[in-house]
Amino acid sequence: MCVALLIYTVIAGLLLPVPKLPILNETIRVLHFHVPMWFGMILVFTGSVVYAIKYLKSNDSTQDIYSSQLANMGIAFGVLGIVTGMVWAKYTWGEAWSNDPKQNASAISLLIYLAYFVLRNSIKDEQQRNKISAVYNIFAFFLMIPLLFILPRMADSLHPGNGGNPGFNAYDLDSNLRMVFYTAVLGWTLLGYWIASINIRLSVGQQKIAD
Amino acid sequence: MIRISILPLLDVQKVIQLIKKDFVVDWRQQNPIAGILLYLASTIFTSYMAFKGFLSLEVWNALFWIILLFTAITAISKSFIQEERRSLYYFFLMRPRDLINSKLIYSFIYLLAIAFLSLIIFTVLFGNPIRNYQLFILNLILGCLGLSSAFTMISAISFKTSNRSVMMAVLGFPIIIPVLLLSIGNSSQILDGYIWSQIQGNMLTLISVDVIIIALTFVLFPFIWRS
Repeated sequence: MCVALLIYTVIAGLLLPVPKLPILNETIRVLHFHVPMWFGMILVFTGSVVYAIKYLKSNDSTQDIYSSQLANMGIAFGVLGIVTGMVWAKYTWGEAWSNDPKQNASAISLLIYLAYFVLRNSIKDEQQRNKISAVYNIFAFFLMIPLLFILPRMADSLHPGNGGNPGFNAYDLDSNLRMVFYTAVLGWTLLGYWIASINIRLSVGQQKIAD
Repeated sequence: MIRISILPLLDVQKVIQLIKKDFVVDWRQQNPIAGILLYLASTIFTSYMAFKGFLSLEVWNALFWIILLFTAITAISKSFIQEERRSLYYFFLMRPRDLINSKLIYSFIYLLAIAFLSLIIFTVLFGNPIRNYQLFILNLILGCLGLSSAFTMISAISFKTSNRSVMMAVLGFPIIIPVLLLSIGNSSQILDGYIWSQIQGNMLTLISVDVIIIALTFVLFPFIWRS
């Protein structure tokens, strides 16, 4: 299912006709690969926080495995999102990193979750590690959300959909983009959950063997 | 099983006792406080030597907040680490809520004192561009509240890890960015002569971020403490 959606995304995203626009030209196709990464990242991080709360409620270490593996997947999405965004920005804004609030916000969310893994590695006792990292996960997530809304207010952004720049709705004259875009979001997010679920099953199995 | 009983949120007597104890400990030991004061003075003096001659209003503002940020992280990181020997007593005698209440209030007062001292040293060395004192100080207080409560929580988290001072910075800096951005932005606008009605939106956002930090600390601290 997920593979079929992704095959459709890649083929249609690269080959279907797109609106011809100045500056953007064919780079508008990045919409199908860059934007779904951020959708995926936010969804996966939200899942991670939900499992962190569940862990604090139940003290069941399986929930902690869910939480940390989803955060892992979120970082993968975030790195891919930042790289695709930088490639796109290189061709449309002129430089890969232009101190844009959106870019800064994404870099900070990555820093927060990388710190989460440093924290996990620096605590020896397993139960304590699970508990502390769940607490940090919740604390950081609920401070990341206001950040994503505050930063764009403090400075102007060149990012589409911000500060008077049109988002993709304005370009989308014949709904071609939309059709591929929603499939792409669904496909990439499912791929993320699939990879995460493999990792989760692997870790749960390893834990059972260790016990 | 999460148990959050709403009342009583604040056991005033115990909290006051704990704050008093913190004051007494710091007063008797003296060298942590002296260390922080010297840290503050020498950082400001070093930047005075480095920035002499080209200090614009924006640079004054950014420098003030950055120095406050670094002093805050150094000063507050000790708030749980110095309790290592006593933590067993607390565990049996206190509810975690009273402990975190007292720590939040104490580190807020502590940071506020540092902030005003730093303002005085800045005035002596760099001059004082502030015209609208009420707004500037209101913004300073709100910024200090955010910094001190976030760092208190981070200090409680990094207390449990193996390399504390590094974890304090790694965990703390990404978290504190919303507070820092808002307060630096506000104070630069205040120095530029903006009035209340022009910045009230950002001020209210800063207040709500402070409230979020404190609320999260209240809810999450007991989990750290019990582990």
